[in-house]
Amino acid sequence: MKPRASTGQGLRSRPRRRPGPRIRSGRVLECWSIGVLPSTEIGPRMLRRGLAIAFIAIACLFLSSTSALLAISRTLEEANRHKILLINEISEPQSLDPQIAQGQGEHEIVSALMDGLVENDEYDQSKVVPGLADRWDHNEDYSVWTFHIRENAKWSNGDPVTSQDFVDSYRRLLTASLGAVYSDALFIMKGAKDYYDQKLTDFNQVGVHAEDPQTLKIELIGPTPYFLSAILHTSWFPVHMPTILKFGRMDQRDTKWTTPGNYVGTGPFILKVWRQNDVIEVVRNPLYWDAANVKLNGINFYSIENSDTAERAFEAGQLHKTLDVPLDRIPYYRREHPERIRIDPYLADYFYRLNTNRKPLDNPKVRLALNLAVNREEIVTNITRAKQTPETGIVPPAMTGYEPLDIIHYDPERARQLLAEAGYPNGKDFPKFNILINTHEAHRVIAEAIQQMWKQELNIDVGIENQEWKVYLQSQNSMNYDMIRGGWIGDFMDPVTFLTIWTTGNGNNDTGWSNPTYDQLIDQAAHTGDPQKRFDILHDAERLFLGEPAVVCIYWYTRVYLLDPSVKNWYPLALDLHNFKYIDLETPEETAAPK
Amino acid sequence: MSTALTTTTAPETEPIHGSSLWNDAWFRLKKNHLALFGLGFFLFMICICVLGPFFTGYRYEDTDLPLKASPPLDKIISRVETLKNGDVKQKNLALSNIEDEFLELPRPERKALATKLANGEQYTSGDVRYELSKQRHFFGTDSLGRDLLTRVLIGGRISLAVGFAATLVSVVIGVIWGAAAGFIGGKLDNLMMRIVDILYALPFTVIVILLMVMFGRNFILLFVAIGAVEWLTMARIVRGQIISLKHQEFVDAAVSLGLSGPRILFRHLIPNVTSSIVVYATLTVPNVMLLEAVLSFLGLGVPPPMSSWGVLINEGASAIQTSPWLLWIPASFFSLTLFSLNFLGDGLRDALDPKSAKD
Repeated sequence: MKPRASTGQGLRSRPRRRPGPRIRSGRVLECWSIGVLPSTEIGPRMLRRGLAIAFIAIACLFLSSTSALLAISRTLEEANRHKILLINEISEPQSLDPQIAQGQGEHEIVSALMDGLVENDEYDQSKVVPGLADRWDHNEDYSVWTFHIRENAKWSNGDPVTSQDFVDSYRRLLTASLGAVYSDALFIMKGAKDYYDQKLTDFNQVGVHAEDPQTLKIELIGPTPYFLSAILHTSWFPVHMPTILKFGRMDQRDTKWTTPGNYVGTGPFILKVWRQNDVIEVVRNPLYWDAANVKLNGINFYSIENSDTAERAFEAGQLHKTLDVPLDRIPYYRREHPERIRIDPYLADYFYRLNTNRKPLDNPKVRLALNLAVNREEIVTNITRAKQTPETGIVPPAMTGYEPLDIIHYDPERARQLLAEAGYPNGKDFPKFNILINTHEAHRVIAEAIQQMWKQELNIDVGIENQEWKVYLQSQNSMNYDMIRGGWIGDFMDPVTFLTIWTTGNGNNDTGWSNPTYDQLIDQAAHTGDPQKRFDILHDAERLFLGEPAVVCIYWYTRVYLLDPSVKNWYPLALDLHNFKYIDLETPEETAAPK
Repeated sequence: MSTALTTTTAPETEPIHGSSLWNDAWFRLKKNHLALFGLGFFLFMICICVLGPFFTGYRYEDTDLPLKASPPLDKIISRVETLKNGDVKQKNLALSNIEDEFLELPRPERKALATKLANGEQYTSGDVRYELSKQRHFFGTDSLGRDLLTRVLIGGRISLAVGFAATLVSVVIGVIWGAAAGFIGGKLDNLMMRIVDILYALPFTVIVILLMVMFGRNFILLFVAIGAVEWLTMARIVRGQIISLKHQEFVDAAVSLGLSGPRILFRHLIPNVTSSIVVYATLTVPNVMLLEAVLSFLGLGVPPPMSSWGVLINEGASAIQTSPWLLWIPASFFSLTLFSLNFLGDGLRDALDPKSAKD
């Protein structure tokens, strides 16, 4: 299953364009000066009078800025009183259509507006809780699943949610002309790929059936014990077909149905306001099946792209939560305000992809030597400084239940030996190549540290080249690089989300690495029902990959963000997918009350 | 002023020498203290940038990760750990972020410990010993623990080299192009100057990015790219001057003596526009250094780990909240050099101005 397109989003480059929710002191000043100084009175009179006017103007400026300051410090209090959560999303969403939405931020907003068969658990990302389906069962080898849709599940316009809605939605997503990136998420259903490729024209032969309005049966191509985790993804959410058809064709993108007033969803909230590049406001949905347990009255998703701006807005009391923290501010918060910074384990890797088609990286010994000469401990303790852990395997430890491998270590002695075996004793005649990074301070610093480590330990010279985000993605996809920074965020709680990308020809492999035994192991795991046996096979595959790695492992991410202490029930989650119905805010009265 | 000139340059016993353009100019420049100061400072900057890195005791690319960003002359605490197998591991930590080592301790204790260490007391916890080290970094270190002084001086070498080399490129191209256009005149002049107009219209950064994409990123290209853009104004200035000169009598005289075109151009015309060239070149150097800084700021400058003032300022700007010295120090070096060059350029313009020679 193809995971989200965003790689390493925590540290990725962002264009710096526009500050977020602004303090509109400019406007305040304008009104004041008009009130106090009618323009007709300012004429070429006495100098003294001019001075007086100037004085008043300056006084106005001070007054208005202090009043603006007072106003913003009350923003959070006010929001807490009305139970409105104010959070930052990385950028303007492309679309709120669950079947087209692509990025992490869109996923978060859509999950407030839409509901799936199951929902995210409050504490544990490896578990799910009932959503639109109140119960489900599966056959012995996890390949046929039956979901029973709850009686009180309703669309926000009052229509009941039926199993046919799911069938119609999946048909839409599997229509090639919709051009959705996540169509292939559904390819684990029987016949789905054939229907998408138009080898199959009858949708009834695809493995999804409405047995009756309340029962949905899904047949998969193989045993999928992690299926419940996979369907948490927005691509598995139902969409309201009558609404979509009202505003355009089924396979039409960006029609008016996703605008406030038109949007019909099943989630705990409904779309109220969408101001481009500013804010998306959602409010409580009274028709949500579990509306009684929704604690917030609304959420405002701001789009502040610059993390420094977001940090300032947080400091000024305008946000409950930021998306990340500027790298050099992390030590400050950890030291001075540990209660406001959150560092959670995260299901993501930070690494460098190696182009295995080019010399000298086509040699597995060189690739391993490069891995062994990186002192990861130094990088995480001195540069990233947010409790990241050295990446010793491919699947991060945040993947509960699957033992992380501890294979890649800092071992300069062995690295030199391997390099000599590969024909470059003491780095002699080692061809020079570049590390390609996307333009961002944090990536540059890490790359410079690694450049120096290789210089010291292996006596080899590598360069650093930076490219703008889109150019960089292009270079990665077309494999026009020697070594390129990469990241990978897990999509669901199963190791295959990290391992399938290295199979031959996978759209996210991008390294040219290919090993038939590896492909076979991954395939074998996909047909193994017994969880323990499956994990053993996956461990073998991971070990095989790390023996001739197509990446330079660097560290396992943590999720670092600022969170106001008044936000309740925001638990650390490995996938960072929060179920907004559980989130609550402490009212100012509660905060004031002695505990 | 002319009386003063004759007394200094013409002793009684020898025949009277005319004072050359350069003598006159030097004489006038000496009276302009600001310009002299600019010249002196500039020469001083060249000296310390060329020689300084040999004496700082650090190399510009050597990282000391545990040290992180430390302010100028920050006290350094060395952390000595005795490992189980008897090996000793030594790390340098900066006093300003020593508290991060003891995050598990409560805040007042952390602060007290830091003060104790700063006063030279030792602190031992388990196999780890902390003590004040004698080592210092004069300008502090950057986020990778590299010595900022060395990096600023090395960066100065690059920035000055780029400044001179690119100016040289622009002078060579600009003078030849402008002189040819002005001297030949007619349709060719028209064509050549329209080419200049077209190049003028292209945005600089776009051209440089295109050049980088086509030829890859390297150091020489940076000189060429900047020089290739900066010659346009030079060409215009030289052309204008040549046109106004070529109708004067001495040119007619040269023509009637039967001199060839190139000879007239190079022996008679170009020496006459030298003063404009020199003045404009002096003002181009800071301009070019600024452009290099802009490119480095956009991440198109010299590749890491090499530094230049532009690179350092860029790095400093992103850390302005937490480590402002990373911005202030290279920025002061850079702006002082630019100031001095501008003063020198202004002074030279006054000194070389043929009109001021008349008084």
